[in-house]
Amino acid sequence: MSMQDGIYYLVVCQLAAPAMTFALIGLPALLGRPLSEQATTRVVGAGFTSGFMAALATLVTLGLQGFPSQVVHLGTWFSVGHHAATIDLVADGLSVPYVCFSTGLCALVNAFAGKYLHREPGFTRFFLLLTLFGTGMNLMVLAGSIDVLFAGWEFLGLSSALLIGFFHERSNAVNASLRAYTTYRICDIGLLTAGVVVHAAVGSGDFGKLFSGTWPNAHCLVSTNVAVGVSILLVFAAMGKSAQVPFSGWLARAMEGPTPSSAIFYGALSIHAGAYVLLRCESLLDQAPAVQWAMVVIGSVTALHASVVGRVQTDLKSMLAYASMMQSGIIFVEIGLGWRVIPLVHVVSHAILRSLQILRSPSALHDRHELEAALGGHPGSEAWSPRHLLSERSQAWLYRLALERGYQDASMVRLIVLPVRRLFEFAARSEERLIMWLGRDPTDSSRGGPK
Amino acid sequence: MLLAAGITVAAPLVGTVVLGMGLFRSSPRIPAVVSAVVSLVSSAVLTILWNIGPLVPVEIGDRMGGGSLVDIDGVTGLLLPYVALVHLAIVLVAPRRFFDIASARRILIGSGMTLALFCTAHPLAIVGLWILTAVPTWFSIRAMPGGRPVARVYCIAMFPAVVCMTLGTCMLVGDPPWEPGSGTIGNVGGWLVAMAVLVRKGIVPFHSWYPALFSAAPMSTALAATMPQVAAYTAMRLLVGHADGVGWELIVLSQAALITAAYGAALATVQKDVKGLVGTLAMSQSAMVLAGLSGTVAMELNGALCVWISSGVSLTGLGLVAWAIESRAGSLSIESLQGRFRDAPLLAAFFLLFGLAIIGVPGTLSFVADDLIVSGCLDDQLHAGLFVIAATVLSGIAVLRGWFHVFGGPVAIDGPSHGILLRERVAMLGLLAVLLFFGLFPGRLVHSLEQAANSLMNESASSEDHLDFHVPAIQ
Repeated sequence: MSMQDGIYYLVVCQLAAPAMTFALIGLPALLGRPLSEQATTRVVGAGFTSGFMAALATLVTLGLQGFPSQVVHLGTWFSVGHHAATIDLVADGLSVPYVCFSTGLCALVNAFAGKYLHREPGFTRFFLLLTLFGTGMNLMVLAGSIDVLFAGWEFLGLSSALLIGFFHERSNAVNASLRAYTTYRICDIGLLTAGVVVHAAVGSGDFGKLFSGTWPNAHCLVSTNVAVGVSILLVFAAMGKSAQVPFSGWLARAMEGPTPSSAIFYGALSIHAGAYVLLRCESLLDQAPAVQWAMVVIGSVTALHASVVGRVQTDLKSMLAYASMMQSGIIFVEIGLGWRVIPLVHVVSHAILRSLQILRSPSALHDRHELEAALGGHPGSEAWSPRHLLSERSQAWLYRLALERGYQDASMVRLIVLPVRRLFEFAARSEERLIMWLGRDPTDSSRGGPK
Repeated sequence: MLLAAGITVAAPLVGTVVLGMGLFRSSPRIPAVVSAVVSLVSSAVLTILWNIGPLVPVEIGDRMGGGSLVDIDGVTGLLLPYVALVHLAIVLVAPRRFFDIASARRILIGSGMTLALFCTAHPLAIVGLWILTAVPTWFSIRAMPGGRPVARVYCIAMFPAVVCMTLGTCMLVGDPPWEPGSGTIGNVGGWLVAMAVLVRKGIVPFHSWYPALFSAAPMSTALAATMPQVAAYTAMRLLVGHADGVGWELIVLSQAALITAAYGAALATVQKDVKGLVGTLAMSQSAMVLAGLSGTVAMELNGALCVWISSGVSLTGLGLVAWAIESRAGSLSIESLQGRFRDAPLLAAFFLLFGLAIIGVPGTLSFVADDLIVSGCLDDQLHAGLFVIAATVLSGIAVLRGWFHVFGGPVAIDGPSHGILLRERVAMLGLLAVLLFFGLFPGRLVHSLEQAANSLMNESASSEDHLDFHVPAIQ
């Protein structure tokens, strides 16, 4: 067996392991016979561990050769006329380390969640969505074309929204889930349109026709206009998933989901999906300096916003959510500055730290209370903060601003969401009135129309 | 193939006769299900025979306007099993109180005539069956308590459509605009047929009856009337097959359909009840089929056929799940959180899965369909891709809003949860299996779609001695 064959099977395993796990849990549940808790965690654990081992083996194999880019052609999904939907994956210095760490994190969260969600009514649902997320993440990371990337991206968004609304009997969780999904969906327009533009420009969605060479030194193969257009659309798509201003309102609310999913989604993987896509298409961004500068501005504003707002949060998970947002903004700045390896290292290290913090947050509160009870008060003095440089009035103003999340959400709702919604509702009401008018009984003069 | 087609059409009609004889008075579902199963099996046999055969259309009777009285080709082979499957699912899931002998007979008659329509390409036969398939729907709406206003609206919409269709087809056949030396009459006929198609498919600005039908009629009636997409079939046989002569009509249909696709999805995001949600989503998806059909590029035609099947199966599933829940819990508002998850967890899962299958989630057939239709748009009309994207995005928001509002929120009822009946589970799993199987392994289906599209185009080309399939480009 040649090395290429070996890589082929290893990459297939990285994708197939979580996907098969999803099917193994989902089918019995759909037939009304869900697996037991123990069986579920074992199956999911086996799936993610296999994926992780395969990714690790690929990493070592490719690492020994200096991380060449290996395209794995899984086959043609379907073809019609001149259009062929091929499933191409890429194993290189960006995708393989990313799969390694994402699958590893999923395996760890599986081990944690098995205990954390014990006897929870939605136990199977959680693991089903976790495996869907794992499948989507690996599909997105290993994607060799914008079509495959979009498929993985969709799974990410869907599993994320459904996990935010995991505790569906809570109104807040449901509303937060809808808000997150609506934001994702609106920003998906960017990725979908980018797909259309790429297909129109090069006749295929393959990354090989957009750029060539090994990451992070790939060269753009398309015209500057196409590169700029696609870059704008990709940045727009990434802003939603990575909670950049002005699409950041959903992130703190997303913490309504169970802690393990918050850790892996909004502390580790999902929040960085946008950054990953931008890193993958870095050679296109190089052709669009204006877009890069826009990223620097967006990232800086996001980081500043998250830093200020995060300081007034009254619960640990919200505080951690804003900390994630801040780091995500900084990663945007790094990518916008044209750096490649630093953002990747930043993503991985931040993801590991933040998921640990979020997983630890429920027990950390208990520990803190115990510590305070033992000491009989607040442990230690308040640390110095830059806010001490501000006058009291300015501090009060800043506090109010932070408490209102910079009026960002309210402005978005007032200026965009409500007008659009009112327009749609006006159209729906007009339809109803038209039907009432058309359906009235002309012979019945005693009534104005049908009741 | 002819025998299989005959059995497919005859089975529901035999079922109607059996019910009319007063047999199975207490259990009308038995003959209805048996006849629907026979119809589905024989249509599947027809599809297999077509695909393994020489791919030569079977034609019987005089040829007129490019089609014969009995015309079995790739399109028939593709659509007959689909229509039979939709009808089988409807008769399986229909709640008992909505499934008396009269309604069972109406469904079976409608099914038989729709299947017969899909076996002909003869313009006059199409017109006749086109009118006949509209009648059971009207009776069904009228029979509902409080259904008369909507029956009136339906009548107001359908009567001019029938007149336009009849006159238009006669003019089209009398003076075919695709033949050299044709005059104004044929052109007017083409426009009249296009107008009839716009109304029957619920395309803006003639769309209002479409969601109203879902709100007022039993779900079985609404699904049976809309999911087979009789108007799309008519457009395909009478207009798409002759694009050289009726190019501008197709362009108007296509643009109106694109607007409807996005508009219907926008309406779906603000619906107040679950029936309205299904109705507006159906309007949007149905328009997408017409948009693809009218594109006249082979790829768009493939995409349209694929959307036809994928949206039809998934909307049937969604509608039936909604109906099953409403039969247990009463009318379902989606203005606020209803908290039905604990009440019916499996139905919640099916609702979500069918909803996701509508909006093109990867792994379902609609993802393939969207890919084909957007790829087709790239060859013909790039802006269409943006309309499709807008419709998909808005539909996604509408579906998840509907799901969360029906099933999310504090538990509404403190009582035993509602299980899912065996017949409901069989129907829903069957529909879901189709969506997932062809979503994951679409190769064979897409090949059949290609053959169907080719057979339609080749037939047109051979009958009119045209090999080039071209409509004026949109400026």
